[in-house]
Amino acid sequence: MTVKPKLHLIPGFFVFAFGFMLICSSRALAEEEVRFNRDVRPILAEHCLACHGFDHAKREAGLRLDTHEGATATLDSGAIAVVPGKPDESELIKRIISDEHDSVMPPPETGKQLSEAQKKVLRQWVQKGAGVEKHWSFERPAKPTIPSVDSPTTAQVHPIDFFIREKLASHSLNPSPVADATTLIRRLSFDLTGLPPTLAELDAFLVDYESNPDSAYTVLVDRLLRSAAYGEKWGRWWLDQARYADSNGYSVDAPRQIWKYRDWVIDAFNKDMPFDQFAIEQLAGDLLPDATLEQKVATGFHRNTPINQEGGIDEEQFRIDSVFDRVATTGTVFLGLTIGCAQCHDHKFDPILQREFYQFFAFFNNQDEPTLSIDPTAEEASKLKQQKSKLELAKTKIIEETAAAVTNWENELSDEQKANLPKYASKAIQIDPTKRTFDHREDLYVTEVGKDDKRYKDLIASIKKIDVRLNKGITSLILKEREKPRETHLFIQGDFTRPSDLVFPSTPSVLPSLPSGEATPNRLDLAKWLVSKDNPLTARVIVNRVWQQFFGRGIVETENDFGTQGAVPTHSDLLDYLAVDWIDEGWSFKRLHRKIVMSQAYRQSSIDRPELRDKDPNNYLLARQRRLRLEAELVRDAGLVACDLLTSHVGGPPVYPPIPPGVMELAQVKREWKESVGKDRYRRGMYTFVYRGNPHPSLNVFDAPEGITSCTRRIRSNTPLQALTLLNDKAFFEFANALAKIIDRDGIESAFRRCTSRIPSEDEKAVLSRLDSISAARVLLNLDETVTRE
Amino acid sequence: MNDFNSLRDTTRRHFFDQCGIGVGAMALSQLQSQASGSDSLNKVSNPLAPKPTHFPAKAKRIIFLFMAGGPSQLDLFDYKPELSRLNGEPMPASYLEGKRFAFMNSSHRVNLLGTHRSFAQYGQTGTWVSDLLPHTAKIADELTFIHTCKTDLFNHAPAKLFMNTGSGQFGRPSMGAWFTYGLGSECDNLPGFVVLQSGPRGPRGGAIHWSSGMLPSTYQGVPLRNKGEPILNLTTPSSVSDAQQVEVLKATAQLNDLRLKEYGDDEIATRINAYEMAYKMQTSAPELMDTSSETQETLDFYGIKDAKESTFARNCLLARRLAQRGVRFVQLYHTNWDHHGGPTENLQEHLPKIATEVDQASAALVLDLKRHGLLEDTIVVWGGEFGRTPMGEVRESTGRNHHIDAFTMWFAGGGFKPGTSYGVTDEFGFGPVQDPVHVRDIHATLLHQMGLNHERLTVRSQGLDFKLTGVLPARIVKEVLA
Repeated sequence: MTVKPKLHLIPGFFVFAFGFMLICSSRALAEEEVRFNRDVRPILAEHCLACHGFDHAKREAGLRLDTHEGATATLDSGAIAVVPGKPDESELIKRIISDEHDSVMPPPETGKQLSEAQKKVLRQWVQKGAGVEKHWSFERPAKPTIPSVDSPTTAQVHPIDFFIREKLASHSLNPSPVADATTLIRRLSFDLTGLPPTLAELDAFLVDYESNPDSAYTVLVDRLLRSAAYGEKWGRWWLDQARYADSNGYSVDAPRQIWKYRDWVIDAFNKDMPFDQFAIEQLAGDLLPDATLEQKVATGFHRNTPINQEGGIDEEQFRIDSVFDRVATTGTVFLGLTIGCAQCHDHKFDPILQREFYQFFAFFNNQDEPTLSIDPTAEEASKLKQQKSKLELAKTKIIEETAAAVTNWENELSDEQKANLPKYASKAIQIDPTKRTFDHREDLYVTEVGKDDKRYKDLIASIKKIDVRLNKGITSLILKEREKPRETHLFIQGDFTRPSDLVFPSTPSVLPSLPSGEATPNRLDLAKWLVSKDNPLTARVIVNRVWQQFFGRGIVETENDFGTQGAVPTHSDLLDYLAVDWIDEGWSFKRLHRKIVMSQAYRQSSIDRPELRDKDPNNYLLARQRRLRLEAELVRDAGLVACDLLTSHVGGPPVYPPIPPGVMELAQVKREWKESVGKDRYRRGMYTFVYRGNPHPSLNVFDAPEGITSCTRRIRSNTPLQALTLLNDKAFFEFANALAKIIDRDGIESAFRRCTSRIPSEDEKAVLSRLDSISAARVLLNLDETVTRE
Repeated sequence: MNDFNSLRDTTRRHFFDQCGIGVGAMALSQLQSQASGSDSLNKVSNPLAPKPTHFPAKAKRIIFLFMAGGPSQLDLFDYKPELSRLNGEPMPASYLEGKRFAFMNSSHRVNLLGTHRSFAQYGQTGTWVSDLLPHTAKIADELTFIHTCKTDLFNHAPAKLFMNTGSGQFGRPSMGAWFTYGLGSECDNLPGFVVLQSGPRGPRGGAIHWSSGMLPSTYQGVPLRNKGEPILNLTTPSSVSDAQQVEVLKATAQLNDLRLKEYGDDEIATRINAYEMAYKMQTSAPELMDTSSETQETLDFYGIKDAKESTFARNCLLARRLAQRGVRFVQLYHTNWDHHGGPTENLQEHLPKIATEVDQASAALVLDLKRHGLLEDTIVVWGGEFGRTPMGEVRESTGRNHHIDAFTMWFAGGGFKPGTSYGVTDEFGFGPVQDPVHVRDIHATLLHQMGLNHERLTVRSQGLDFKLTGVLPARIVKEVLA
């Protein structure tokens, strides 16, 4: 050692190995098996690249390990980290096996340590020539050939099952048997529509399934995909990522109107809008030729950023904050990349320069943020106003033409008669005729002379109708490209008060470039680029996030990070197959969803098996399905369906179901919560008004996002406050009372099925039969099973 | 989150293997007997079970008295005779170059504003405190003052968020969530992170200040309400009798246990546990709020006139009761310290009023913890999201604007060095001339006292390992520690 470079990894990078990595690394590796992306990169990424990676500002000892050139270069010290084929001459190998505190890598103060298996992998890698592959997710996926699995019915095996079973076979594991019919319909109903099956749906399915399981299942899938509730369930999935909420956030947190965007999303899913169009309209609908009203509404995607209305702020600062958010959200949602990390410095792990961040930023720096009038539209409003003034003119004419008749009538009235006139008329009549306003004269006209004037009444009715339209005032927040572009500068350390070089819109160089053209590319070009077939990331990222919904975890566990720090795909061929197939089939969500739920992997039982606890305790290999606690909104929806209270109206303004007393007082600015009555009281959870700063407690407690930043995966916590909500919350107690009546009417078994979809066992019935109806109803709504999809 | 989940899964799996099908039965028997002692079930399948520290801890819990709005350090603690001498003179331009302030374009003024208060030295340490805080002054020798606290953000909501989470951006865990995530809770019948509020309104930004961010909502702060039920949905519906509630809980546990046996999903065991804790909270939370067992002497000590009235003083007493019950992190918010000089926020009338509201009780809390033997392992923190400018801000009267370069906070107990003043500001109290202490240094120091290495307490999200102290280097302020 000639030189002892101070090699400090970022302190605090303390990562637990993912279960899958354990599987990989514990697998005995034959020498020829070492592959850079699968075996070596994860080790480097976790232990080395923070100081010996892409970020040149943090690079220690001039060493870069993620390129072949960098790894094999002669360092300032004269040492060479990697001498291909010669591990014993390689400084890297010497350092990782060193016993000396000052020389061993990674440095002990980082708290990181290489396992013996990991050291062996690195040694083998060097031995085999230290080849470096481009990070897997930056290579365009190719449709893999379907591997063969010994199975008597190979011809019928679903493509997804080929990949899953191949992996299982290599670990000597079998898939689980198919779940029972009740579990299947309950699982499918929640996963596709977010609602449990009704008793009628259950009964019909069970009969069909008995006679022909496959066709019954297929018919069910297709029915659910056609249901309007499908758009609600999957719309909500997208709204998490779009950080949708109904208020402005920050401290003032005033209400906003953007629910038309929410309805646009629901509608897009129900129409099965292809994802490429779905993405383009949301990112750049305003730039499409002859953009329709709907396409403009779609740009609300990037208006879901919070707005700070606190006094004394610098508005430019918060405009820029929302642009930062748009860049980060676009990166996360579509590319699965943490582009936002390059806001202040070059990305530490992924090849994204700070300059590239601001080139990406430039696409989003050129918009105005107007409010679009929707009902009535600006055009309609001006037409309506014109119509209204015509009608008013006609009305004026009537009043003028009948003036003499009214005067005659007035003159013939006795004082007593005058005193007995309706209030408005007696008020008008007391005023000196020369000083009467038009309204006064109108009031006198309708009192007697005009009381049966049909023409006049029709006019009034028409005017009223117009007023109703005009007062509707439905608007939505949208993006609108500016005529004259703003200049974009790189901000030193992400600080907008420190602008530096001027930059122009462009995409990160590690990804395919934009098609070259004359004009400066804009948001529309960016949107098209994101969903172009050449983009290696978007389809994989979205398909993975869809998979996550059906299995509780993505094929890439880090669903928001496909970069070098992200998890390795558990089934990379399957991921690529799904991504390419999805594009080939026209980016259809319904086809993709159908494909997944038709697989046997999806249909498996979720019951745990003893042998899996040792071999794959976290179920990375998918030898079974997984029990998943329902998402916050669905906990409510399940209760509403069980108690037969659900109002299944799709879309419209947000609603205000009961809220515990005192909640709204916690906010800085107290907002009104006018509890919805009638049908609106029983709408699906997704329509509950969301105040970012003060979200509805029964949604919040079950981990619903507040719409503050993009949420690509919900946490599923399990807490006492959830128990208190289901036990005592006013809304849930209301459900329990409704369910108690059902118990009285239909018996406990029927109520049990409404909550869990299945028939109770004798033991279960015995427990419940000891209770009065309301208690039994409350128990049913509190069961783990009721709030779980199995 | 992956690391967290897999860790949790592993511990639960371990537990499950050991206890097998007995889980539900154990929980049920506990429910029936209403036993209060913790058992092995709670320790392993409860995410709030106590966890080992990184190294031996000096303190076990924190009570953070959050003075929302930004108290004027220049009228309370940081004595600046030169500022008073030059009252009305323009601020030397050299101080202001390149600085940004809130309300920059409207009411910002650059003339110096000396304090109207009289200062004196107190205790053996001769600590300067103004006449606004006579009770605090009396215990100056118990306290550790840092006069050079520094933050990054000058608007209320972002700055409060910064003090709580180490970031001005939404979506990060707050301090209390970090502590319960890192250490668990030593209280099995109340939440590990509790929030209390007093003053005319909630803190700007509301629930984001006690958010668990990317941590599971288990770690989120639970506001204890002064009116109505202390915890949302704590009370059994009025038409349900206690006997019925117990029957419901018993039957729920029995049925959940049957399902657990069939599926072997430890989430079911966790849920059985959660219901048990919920049931305990139904008793323990009202019991906590009921201060009738406290003596009149105690109430007088805190300055509580009406024990039913929701005041900062009552919240301080509740904080002591929470500390006694082992709650990890208690945060009290008191509004409003935003003395710009407007009609409801002037330095002449409203600053003295709010100072009086908090002074006696803050001091009483420290002394009361001490006489209960709790001060040595409880840290009390007193401070706001930022301080205020030495320059006057002219509104209806002359007040002070938000200021982020130097402000005062005090600490007591939990291994802080009593009778210490740390950090020196310039002649106007505008910026530090010695020993600046950034918010992240405060975070690192508090974590350190609680036995946690701020560089090791991380959570993985969006491809990054997040920590309370963020990405820039943070320093443990050893000089203020005993």
